[in-house]
Amino acid sequence: MASVNSDEWRAVCDKFTNAQNLTEVESRNDPENDPFRSKYKARELLREIYCSLKSFEAGEGEEESGGESGEQRPTEQPVDGQREDGQGISGDSPAGMRAAKLGAVEYYLGVNHVDTEELSAGQEHLMNCMKLLDRCRVSSENVSLFIHVRNQLGILWAGRDETEMAQGFLETAESNYQRYMKEDGSPPIDMTEYFTSEENLLTHQERTKRFELAYTHTMYYLAQVYQNLGETERAATYCHSTLQRQLQLNQFNPMEWALNAATLSQYYITKGRYMEGRHCLSAATVISGLAGEVPSEAAAQESETESERREHLRQKRAEIARCWIKYCLNLLQDSKKLLEDNIGELDTDRQDELKRARRREEEEEEKGRKSALLFGSEDTFDSIASLEEKVLCLFPLDFTEARSVFLVGQNYVTQAKEYFQMDGYVTDHIEILQDHSSLFRALAFFEEDLERRCKMHKRRVDMLEPICNDLNSQYYLLIRRQLMFELAETYSEMMDLKLTLANRQADTQSLDNHTIKKFNSLCSASAKYFQMFLDSLCSPEGKFPEILEEEVLRPALVARFRVARLHSRLISSVPPVQLENLNRSLENYKYVVQYCEAHPEAAAAAETELELSKEMVGLLPLKINRLKARMAANN
Amino acid sequence: MRKKYYNMVEDMKKIRVFCRIRPVNRNEAAQGGVIVVDKIDEFSVTIDTPRGQREFQFDKVFSAEASQEDLFHDTNLIQSAIDGYNVCIFAYGQTGSGKTFTMVGDKEQKNPGLMPRSFNAIFDIIRENSSKFDFKVSAYMLELYNDRLQDLFVSPAGEAHAQPQSHGQARRVEIKRNRKGVVFAQGAETKEASSAQELYALFQQACANRHISATMNVESSRSHLIVGIRVESKNLTNGSVSTGKLSLVDLAGSERAAKTGAKDHQLKEANSINKSLSALGDVISALSAELPHVPYRNSKLYATRVKAITNNAQRNVESKEIAQLKEVIMKLKSGQSVEDVDV
Repeated sequence: MASVNSDEWRAVCDKFTNAQNLTEVESRNDPENDPFRSKYKARELLREIYCSLKSFEAGEGEEESGGESGEQRPTEQPVDGQREDGQGISGDSPAGMRAAKLGAVEYYLGVNHVDTEELSAGQEHLMNCMKLLDRCRVSSENVSLFIHVRNQLGILWAGRDETEMAQGFLETAESNYQRYMKEDGSPPIDMTEYFTSEENLLTHQERTKRFELAYTHTMYYLAQVYQNLGETERAATYCHSTLQRQLQLNQFNPMEWALNAATLSQYYITKGRYMEGRHCLSAATVISGLAGEVPSEAAAQESETESERREHLRQKRAEIARCWIKYCLNLLQDSKKLLEDNIGELDTDRQDELKRARRREEEEEEKGRKSALLFGSEDTFDSIASLEEKVLCLFPLDFTEARSVFLVGQNYVTQAKEYFQMDGYVTDHIEILQDHSSLFRALAFFEEDLERRCKMHKRRVDMLEPICNDLNSQYYLLIRRQLMFELAETYSEMMDLKLTLANRQADTQSLDNHTIKKFNSLCSASAKYFQMFLDSLCSPEGKFPEILEEEVLRPALVARFRVARLHSRLISSVPPVQLENLNRSLENYKYVVQYCEAHPEAAAAAETELELSKEMVGLLPLKINRLKARMAANN
Repeated sequence: MRKKYYNMVEDMKKIRVFCRIRPVNRNEAAQGGVIVVDKIDEFSVTIDTPRGQREFQFDKVFSAEASQEDLFHDTNLIQSAIDGYNVCIFAYGQTGSGKTFTMVGDKEQKNPGLMPRSFNAIFDIIRENSSKFDFKVSAYMLELYNDRLQDLFVSPAGEAHAQPQSHGQARRVEIKRNRKGVVFAQGAETKEASSAQELYALFQQACANRHISATMNVESSRSHLIVGIRVESKNLTNGSVSTGKLSLVDLAGSERAAKTGAKDHQLKEANSINKSLSALGDVISALSAELPHVPYRNSKLYATRVKAITNNAQRNVESKEIAQLKEVIMKLKSGQSVEDVDV
């Protein structure tokens, strides 16, 4: 630019600074009925800059396509014509710099039009920018603009639901970045620097920061694009990368980051990827600690801001605790699924098999960690690792391991409940209790001692029963139904355990009175809760629904089936009572059969139960009749 | 900010907010739902929330018993529109609250809503004044979906034939302001109508072209419907012309209900890219519809999680009960004495 008057050049730079100021600062004060006033002004300035640049070129008498210009790609389609070959104008040559500067103006014009909701014009300018740059080789002079313009085009096309177009631009930006970092890596010029004077150029540090931030956005937009394309796993990887970069570049809000990482862990859990899930959660906990100390109650009393802050921090940390609870719970449950036999008991053969396979897995884990994306910076790396060491990420295969996972989960239950107290957070509190109950249930699977197993179920009952009875049945209908069902099943479990225990002790068939009483009470309790559930389906007038809605269909049929079964198991030596029990049983089996006959589509919801109910409807009457006959005979 | 507008509105009295209470529907009655909204008087309602009762004020309250006719009577601004004013009626509320019923009516039109009644009223008034004025009625109908305005007089099939090269030229409607400062929809086709029936037929055509995705109710949709009726009247005595506009807007439902029955593929409609990294949380929580826990209180997914009553879904593993019962049945069938077998 030797021939350009330095005054003219300074004028251009000033205009640019003005335009930036209008766009970013002044525009915030634009009135409601003229919201783009400043941006329109900025646009004018940018246009003038463009004209000035063009006239400088003409003045210098150089052609636009200087150097070895290779073939030009066709310009009609909005396709990314990024050249792979080494041809093209060198980025730092005068021609290259001219292209970059013009390109930058086109870029800002493009963004300007997009901001003022003129997408077609915006697209045109952005494409012009890209075409200008495509003639050049990627260098530190233009790579930042390369990335930015493709990011913008990605957003634009995604906004039009043209996800594949967006994908193209963003993926090119991604590969541009990676190649640049591999081949060059020096802090590239930021776009704002094209029109600044020597003194105001940015530091290397600042350049790197802005460049890396642009690429972080590329990752973030790609995550969304992949999600829209249905490639959820890839999307998750890019979300992970985005989070990782935020930490590395120190561009994050601790609590926000922590919650995002905790949410990502939940995604990993749904995929059974517990190592990644654990890592996310550990990082979430550590980073959430960076948000600072929780203000004390006293401080909160005195100041509104402190009170809000206290609330905010405590709540978010409690949410993270809940994510941890789900981690422990799912880990135990998934482990159970691997270990259970066909009636839901622990299969010791499978257990041995998995233990053998485990040794190999542990080595894989080490390798996996290194290749997986690790979170953290120098300070946090260790704290994250030490949190991870406190809990397994491999499936617990015996009681000791299960118990350790259980205890971690229980600890987080306590933490979460401290914030989500019943008074004020009813739904949340109960969900936490439900999780706690499920933790016990999962642990019970691993417990070999039946007595202790029974005690675990008793803990569940003690936890949930009072709540179920206290809750308002109108507002909390769904939760109560969940609790009723869970209580019914838990009592059933306890009943079976008591029976098994008793049978083991006695060598005779008959049970002592104490045991019978205990058994019956558990049996009745179970039936009571199933019945309570069924009653909850009734209309206010007490009428059981003719048609069972989808969400309650299977539970209702199962409940009927279980009530039937439970009644037939009640132990009594008094014939009229026996008769009553059998009749109740038959009545409920019949309901299942009749409902499925009247509504054939319902049969699929409870196939096995229906099948067995049909059998029992056929077989029970025989028993009932024999009993009646005996009763008559004895009279 | 809200206060500033509230006062502005109060002063102008040009915006009125009405509340209409919908009667309990079949689903709700079957589940023993309790009515928590109560009309205290013509201007107030109370709502029973888990945290106590709250009261709300409106310019008018319509109870569940109010008919479509009642509603139309009290919102009848047709005359104003014909007189040359711009009138706008918005229906706003949760999905399933009855917006479309209020604005359009039921499918069979046994209970027509504001729109068909307005159409009739327009032409009734026109007929009454046909000796003094010459009228021209035209309409445009737009859909706002995913941040884009779509002209509903253009059928999607027609559009598919028109492009694919001209992405920029697709029938996109842009909001512009003309020299007189009047806001209009550029690129929207307006069609003339000479009777209420014609106008209604246009409306039906437009509805057929909408993006409908059944969320909770079959008749609701995820897009906003904007119907604009322009009435140009020329005074036959002095030749002066005035134009009035009646805009009727049926806003898409806000997704806040707990029991919606909405399947998770509906949530994928949010295709627009979030620009700010602060929305990363939304992106992550949308990765799966089955996240065990979502730590955000205001996420769309948090509100629409459908929770099951029991985890006792059909599994490959039989429960102990089933196994035991099978054994019992086997014993009974194998001929063992029915008295000996404990069922």
